Amino acid sequence: MKIAIVDYGMGNIKSLESILKHLGAPEVNYTKNPESLFSSDKVILPGVGSFGEAIDNIEKRGLRAIIEELAIERKKTFLGICLGMQIMANSSEEAPDKKGLGLIQGNLTRFPHSKLTKVPHVGFNQVEFGNDSTLFKGLSSGCDFYFTHSFKLTNNSNIQKGICRYGEEFIAAFEQENLFGTQFHPELSQQNGLALMDNFLRAKQC
Amino acid sequence: MLRKRVIFTLIYNDGNFIQSRNFRHQKVGNIKWLENNYKFQKISYSLDELIIINASKENKNTQDFSNCVSKLVEKVFIPVCAGGGITSMKDAEVLFNKGADKIILNTALYSNPELVKSLSLKYGAQSIIASIDYKKINNKYCVYINNGEDNIELPLDEYINHINKLNVGEIYLNSIDKDGTGFGYDLSPLSFIQNKITTPLIIAGGAGNSSHLIEGLSHESVSAVATANLFNFVGDGLPKARREMIALGVNLAKWEEYSKE
Repeated sequence: MKIAIVDYGMGNIKSLESILKHLGAPEVNYTKNPESLFSSDKVILPGVGSFGEAIDNIEKRGLRAIIEELAIERKKTFLGICLGMQIMANSSEEAPDKKGLGLIQGNLTRFPHSKLTKVPHVGFNQVEFGNDSTLFKGLSSGCDFYFTHSFKLTNNSNIQKGICRYGEEFIAAFEQENLFGTQFHPELSQQNGLALMDNFLRAKQC
Repeated sequence: MLRKRVIFTLIYNDGNFIQSRNFRHQKVGNIKWLENNYKFQKISYSLDELIIINASKENKNTQDFSNCVSKLVEKVFIPVCAGGGITSMKDAEVLFNKGADKIILNTALYSNPELVKSLSLKYGAQSIIASIDYKKINNKYCVYINNGEDNIELPLDEYINHINKLNVGEIYLNSIDKDGTGFGYDLSPLSFIQNKITTPLIIAGGAGNSSHLIEGLSHESVSAVATANLFNFVGDGLPKARREMIALGVNLAKWEEYSKE
């Protein structure tokens, strides 16, 4: 099985590579090469940084059409993590003039700051999910994952979701056919993250 | 509910890890020594985050330091923050590429605010921890930069106002007076700065046992407690402290015992 991590110049992927290696993924390529992306079985869209810069980098490298083809036409098992998940949505308040990839319906808004909900939302928080989930298989609903973000995904009604609360509810994870996303970092979430990444590696191709 | 966090801070000085006391350094051992004696990977299962600070005073070689960071983060699936002596975008890039998930800045917050803003724009505010070293002198909270050597004119509360403008993700507040003493955290500034701090707050300096960690975390304004106390906490110290804290109902994340090798 070949895993491609999309290289669009956004941040650290070392922990991601090392968790995949640890779980025994035979071949992991960090790449922006279209051939290498198309020949992979599964694709991960990582990302740390800002929404605007992420979209700019995707456009600059000509990756928008390639990602659309991978995710929609070829139906590769596709996982967005943190900012990688955010840019799968339609838009973000962080960069209102930038168009997201639109692979799933939803928008990102900034967490309102209050005395009890400081921004960014940093640390482990509990994620609730249904028992038919592929990503969370074998984990108990309400288990802890590591978050670090200032914008949250909301208003998506017809998608399978993992829900987290920080002041209000937001979408911590989603799955829709071949498309998966986590706002949290499974690669930084100890054993719970290892279990989730293992589920992703085992997920059947669509 | 968002959990509170326990963070370990490893202090690096020219190839070795050290125990600091009031910012005076005592050499403990190099990375091999740390691995052999303390099985760092195992300890990481009791931690929410790891911070590694380059406190080398003479020669802050970012390359050597980042190689060390890279070795430490292998098979450690927790967030790792690295810093100490970051003076350019390039320094930060090297650390991120070598496996840091976040960077920690101290002197640059004061001497090069533009760099901090650029780093925040590029990597996101959540990737930047602002470290503040302070001392209490005649009941005033004085801020120090350059490895705790230079006092700046801004008092702590005004310095926090300054940092709030730089778009950082967290504040790491370290008491030089309590550093390495094991006498407990200095909680005295919290009441008067808590309304100024808009980001999560990490307190550091002084933890010597689990009751100090609990005392720190019981403050509403404290998101995380950090300890750099190699002697008291590394080995069985941290796993034991975490178990005790969870048993007492402290709001910490839980995960299964590690099984896969």
